[in-house]
Amino acid sequence: MVLMAVDREAAYLGLGPGMKLADARARVPDLKAFDHNVLADAALLEQLADACLRYTPMVSVSPPRSLLLDISGCTHFFTSENALVEDAEDRFDQAGYSLSWALAGTPDAALALAHHGLQEGAEAQLPVSALAMDDKTHRALERAGLYHIGDLAERPRAALVARFGSSLAVRLDRIMGIEDRPIDPIRKLANVTTERRFAEPLTHIDFAISCLEELFIEAVQQLEERGQGARMIRMILFRCDGDVARLAIETAPATRDPALFKRLLKERIDALNDPLNPGFGYDLIRLSIVATDHLEMEQYRLEGGEDKQGDQAALVSQLSVRLGRTQVQHFMPADSHIPEQGLLALPALDSGPPKAWDKPKAGEPPLRPLHMFDPPQHIKVLAEVPDGPPYRFTWRRKTHRVSRYEGPERIASEWWQRRDGQQAGKGGLTRDYYRVEDIRGRRYWLFRHGLYGSEKVNPDWYIHGLFA
Amino acid sequence: MFTKLEQTMNIVDSHILEKFSAHKSQMLDNITVPNFTFGAASLDIALSKETPNHGLPLAQLHEIHAAQPEDSSSAAALTLLLAARARMAAETADQPITWVRDHGEARRQGRLYPPGLVELGINPDHILYIDAADSIAVLRAAADAVRCAPIGAVIVELAGKNPKGLDLTATRRLALSAKKSGVTTFMLRNKAAPMPSAAFSRWQVAAAPSKALAANAVGHPVFELTLLRHRGGLDGLNARLEWNRETRSFQEAADISAVPTVSGIRTDHKKIRARA
Repeated sequence: MVLMAVDREAAYLGLGPGMKLADARARVPDLKAFDHNVLADAALLEQLADACLRYTPMVSVSPPRSLLLDISGCTHFFTSENALVEDAEDRFDQAGYSLSWALAGTPDAALALAHHGLQEGAEAQLPVSALAMDDKTHRALERAGLYHIGDLAERPRAALVARFGSSLAVRLDRIMGIEDRPIDPIRKLANVTTERRFAEPLTHIDFAISCLEELFIEAVQQLEERGQGARMIRMILFRCDGDVARLAIETAPATRDPALFKRLLKERIDALNDPLNPGFGYDLIRLSIVATDHLEMEQYRLEGGEDKQGDQAALVSQLSVRLGRTQVQHFMPADSHIPEQGLLALPALDSGPPKAWDKPKAGEPPLRPLHMFDPPQHIKVLAEVPDGPPYRFTWRRKTHRVSRYEGPERIASEWWQRRDGQQAGKGGLTRDYYRVEDIRGRRYWLFRHGLYGSEKVNPDWYIHGLFA
Repeated sequence: MFTKLEQTMNIVDSHILEKFSAHKSQMLDNITVPNFTFGAASLDIALSKETPNHGLPLAQLHEIHAAQPEDSSSAAALTLLLAARARMAAETADQPITWVRDHGEARRQGRLYPPGLVELGINPDHILYIDAADSIAVLRAAADAVRCAPIGAVIVELAGKNPKGLDLTATRRLALSAKKSGVTTFMLRNKAAPMPSAAFSRWQVAAAPSKALAANAVGHPVFELTLLRHRGGLDGLNARLEWNRETRSFQEAADISAVPTVSGIRTDHKKIRARA
């Protein structure tokens, strides 16, 4: 076993990552060792990345223990870049984390410098291992007498590429700040962002809510100029102790209505599993509109009247926020002849153009049930002949005598979806559906799973639906 | 002089008030809530004799109970078909029917199957389906939906004998909201214990044997309806209705109960004992 990380005290005693546990124990007998939890580390890093969103919207996670912040144009709240870094250091320190940082022109340079505790301009002093190539390359470079990045940078590129491949040249350029690379921010950039900073943290939730409402009004003013409305609104409440609370609201059609926003926000907060806790107070509240849609100015009729579509959409948004977006559904037909796969229940928020459903045959009674069991439920069936219609069946511990039936309606399995499905016996089981009515007048949809004799010796029976 | 002026003003005021209140009461008298019908003439006339307002009133709460838990699909279908007829009769013909259902119930009773709706003559695009976690969430969502005027009809489906949160107050709230917004509301129960409610009517629905087609095949859906309660004091109304998809209406089903029902066969213990 190997040490993955050590605390400050252990580092002082001369232990470090990569050291064998047995060796470390030999040096420090009363060493406390814990299992390395990779997931918890990643989650913590993401939480810290969220907290860093207060400095810039462009925050990227660089595992295992680095964060990249693109602060170009974000220093206007602080006197200088260094003041921003000081603020970050203070906050991390308060939360109990030590920090090693570097400012540089490109992300790779900043990462390499920070890992080695150097500052901008000292790129030449970095060891060749900062290139993050494989160990073999690092060793080969050192054997050639090239210990520092500076040694490499002086050499002609052509020879290096010929010996170590083109990736070395690219990495070298990135560290030297010659070539930039885009970073992958943890959050998509919002269309409109508005925020409030407070000198004195807000400790009451009602103030935070009214602040969010004001921010929304500010944001939609910007949207109005572009003829757009908000579809997805994200809110981030930064607590002064580094905790971050996030809220998101999705609306059915695009909206600019503050009253609707207020209602949805209330629903959202009511539906939270753990309620918002201001703790020591929020010192920064940000509202961003992540998704927008085209929305023209509306003119209401002079004589008044209701906005029918708007009210209905507001109902959909409100219920989606309260119950969850997948709980408010509308149905769409799907292209499959397998009965349980013939439909999609989509969130009503993602309304698309309606698709045509199959028309029923005139004069025929309903061929498909009103309610369907998915998965089908197993039943015991007595039939006069093994491949004939059911005579009596037992479902949920009750026996039903069949008085009328129609069938079978044979539905083949999707053999083309299976491996070697075209070969006999590998295409899956065919279903023989019967619409039956028991003597009390209840109508059921039953099927025999597998053709008797050719596909299965003793086919099972299932109930798949209930007719009106 | 001032008193004189005041007096005249008072007189004018009272005149206006009188006129206004007279007008208001006249208006209220003239507003008769429009009705929706089953389409089966004798039942509609029995429900309300005033021409042309046969059938049941719109903008009210109606309860539909399944006679047995096994009849709940029939009860659901009848509710849906009535909701569709109410939606056609009202001015909200292009608005969706909102169906609020309990999540656990959907698992037990089977989920709503849109191709089956098509087979009954209802376009699934007109259904807004809401899957709520428990009965309280169902009632809350239903209350919001009923209050929302541009909705064709609302179906509230509640499972269990005594769902949590359902009481006289809850039904009264739904009924009042329905009256105010004009949205006809149906409460669908699969095994209900009798309880006071503010509903305008309460029906019991059971499946009935269908009229056999050629080769003894299963026919069109037939429902056995019993009126349990009616605000107008009607009682003991019975009907056996068949749904006709083409005309989108119910029609009286011919008597087709040729097969004896199971409940008719009973052991006569007294006779057996006497014989012994």
